[in-house]
Amino acid sequence: MKAIIWERLLFLITIGFVLVGCLLLLFTSCSRDSGEMQSYTIADNTGDWGYPSPYTHYSRGPGYIMMSFIFETLVWKDAADFVPQLASKWEYHADENAYVFRLQKDVQWHDGVSFTAEDVVFTFQYTKEHPYAWVDNTIVKSVEAVDPYTVKIYLSRPYAPFLHDVAGTQPIMPKHIWEGVDQPDQFTGPEAVIGTGPYTLADYSKGHGTYLYKPFDMYYLGKPAVEEIKVVKISAEMIPAALKGGSADAGSIPPEVVSDMKEAGLSIITAPVAWNAKMTINHKKSPLSSKKFRQALAYAIDRDALVQITQRGHAVAGSPGMVPPTSAWYNPKTPQYRYDPSLTGRLLEELGYKREGAYFSKDGKELRLELMTTAQFKDVGHFVAQQLTEAGIRIDFKTLEAKTVDAKVAAWDFNLSIYGHGGLYEPSVLNRVITGSGFNSARYDANKTLNQLLKTQITEMDPDKRKRIIFEIQELYAEELPALTLYYPQWYWAHDGNIDLYFTRDGVASGVPLPLNRMAFVK
Amino acid sequence: MHINVKKEILGSGPAIIGFVILLVMIMAALLAPLIAPYDPQQQSVSSLLAPSMSHWLGTNHVGQDIWSQLLYGARTSLLVGFSVGALAVLFGSICGVSAALIGGLYERIIMRLVDSLIVIPMIIVIIVIAAYIKPNILVLIVLLSLLSWESGARIIWSQTLSLKERGYIAAARSFGARKSYLAWRHIIPALGPILLVDFIYGIRRAVFLEAGLAFLGISDPATISWGMMMRDALGFSYLNVWQWWLVPTGIALSLTIVGLTFIGHAVEPIIDPRLRGAEVA
Repeated sequence: MKAIIWERLLFLITIGFVLVGCLLLLFTSCSRDSGEMQSYTIADNTGDWGYPSPYTHYSRGPGYIMMSFIFETLVWKDAADFVPQLASKWEYHADENAYVFRLQKDVQWHDGVSFTAEDVVFTFQYTKEHPYAWVDNTIVKSVEAVDPYTVKIYLSRPYAPFLHDVAGTQPIMPKHIWEGVDQPDQFTGPEAVIGTGPYTLADYSKGHGTYLYKPFDMYYLGKPAVEEIKVVKISAEMIPAALKGGSADAGSIPPEVVSDMKEAGLSIITAPVAWNAKMTINHKKSPLSSKKFRQALAYAIDRDALVQITQRGHAVAGSPGMVPPTSAWYNPKTPQYRYDPSLTGRLLEELGYKREGAYFSKDGKELRLELMTTAQFKDVGHFVAQQLTEAGIRIDFKTLEAKTVDAKVAAWDFNLSIYGHGGLYEPSVLNRVITGSGFNSARYDANKTLNQLLKTQITEMDPDKRKRIIFEIQELYAEELPALTLYYPQWYWAHDGNIDLYFTRDGVASGVPLPLNRMAFVK
Repeated sequence: MHINVKKEILGSGPAIIGFVILLVMIMAALLAPLIAPYDPQQQSVSSLLAPSMSHWLGTNHVGQDIWSQLLYGARTSLLVGFSVGALAVLFGSICGVSAALIGGLYERIIMRLVDSLIVIPMIIVIIVIAAYIKPNILVLIVLLSLLSWESGARIIWSQTLSLKERGYIAAARSFGARKSYLAWRHIIPALGPILLVDFIYGIRRAVFLEAGLAFLGISDPATISWGMMMRDALGFSYLNVWQWWLVPTGIALSLTIVGLTFIGHAVEPIIDPRLRGAEVA
């Protein structure tokens, strides 16, 4: 009797398991049929980029990206051009030096409140008092709401990259939440992440460096494409394995594994180059203060070989005009200083140097320079030191801790130094890195024409005229050579194709070179 | 100190293995310019190659021959190791012997200096100093020596205190021998075995520290070092190059340290006879 009961019980349990299994299968296939992706995981090797609110995200590209899933701008960019976002149309009124933006009418904040022109006016007024790190708050003079869905932004001066640097970068914040916030950098409550974007923040862990976003169903420009976006911390070395194993859907990969990833069926995308490693020259100090001497240095460095050897071909050789050859702003007539150590010798001789043995000397003093960099550029520094040495300039090469290098460069306590910076999409960066005062600027103002051209390019609203000015700037900068761009590294991302990732034209917002444009995650 | 160092070493199997390893490393270091097939600093476009007849251990990320780098790395490790070992023994002997012989305030100052150096975590101090000075090989040797003599000095001091009470030294003093004469003629020769132990431990410590600092990126980029090679190799750990880049470098470094440890272990009973255990009993 007992045996029969057990047999029946076992039979029922088995039937139960089979039924549950069938239901699960049905559920899974249904969700697949509907085309809804359950989850999309982005691998990031740093992890924490701050709380994704305008004033609390870290002031670096990925920090902005984490915030940009939630907060939107007036205009946005896709792979090709500017596209409407909170503003559906916009025009520039040259006579008033003002932009008029027609706003979308069916936009809601994540808490259900309607978005209006008042929010835009408030945002720009708020940033006057509390500057947002990514936007220069002096460009906007005033903002007025013409009607509930039209705003007019008056500029304090003509500013050519306004759409790129301001309208396409400034996150618009809800007035009804932020008007009572006096210390925005301390504001980290759930209200601080209420935006108009396609995703809302479901979880953020500073310790683990993870973000979890859930879709905002009332989004006005389409339907969010995935049920959740996860950003998880995975070390750079482990990202290729995570992608191959399927535990991540997208991540940046080292160039050496590109072919391996392709074989594994992953899609590879390459960012247009926008970061440069350059040799900065102390042009305040003799003999480097001589333009001819700096040009002599440029002829001694084979930038093509440098790319092949130190970057294993995964970079573009530097243009002395700093603007990358792949850029729409690149001037093909920029002087190139093709590798020719004999020209180095000739120029040095014209400057009174004589080669005695291995090195040049002048007035009995050997030509000897110090080249310093950080451990990151050890191999590049070694290559440059070797080439300059072969050309007859004795180089004392040393690597120092990054902050020490920065401090020495800032204090002009150096001869030659190698470091890098990005942002080479929008030419407004040229002003910051040629005449600006930061340590990653050449801080070069000896050429008055160059100074004037840099000032003009920012205010020239006619794109064709601006392009001509930028061409001229490149030629002059390459001739003056206060620094020499050595190479632009090539960056790769691999992804499984579930989302059609792409690199944004001139980078996300004011130039973030990551393929994480929020609109790729919207159907 | 009636100790037969030769007997101590030859009587220990591991010590003989240690000596063989060390000898191989010394030969590799000395003969590197003759047996290395390439200039270890010469970069080339042939990067990340697998081992072949032309590159026994392949090439690194900037096309340098790993086998040649390994040989030259031995030079750096052993040069730093032996130099620091010798200088640390020198500083330790001068301070230890003079403190014990002179005594008084001088002895108190020297020994408190030794005490304070013992409690300071040396590796942290070296990292902080080296990060700003960015040592070339000479500076590194001096720096490591200045920070690693204290434990030897303490042992030498206590041994000298005991020695100076011996009859033959008391006799020499009664004949008017000066302290410098005593130190040079009697104390130092009697301390010979202890200095040897201190020297071997000094080498081992310095080899390890040099590799560690280079691994942390605190070294002269123009000097090839096993630590730097391992640091570079780890940057490419997602490729299979670790097999012929990271592993041989790690083995070379480990073997050197193991070899020195074997020798040190065999001669350790010299400074601590209790370790002789059953043999003494």
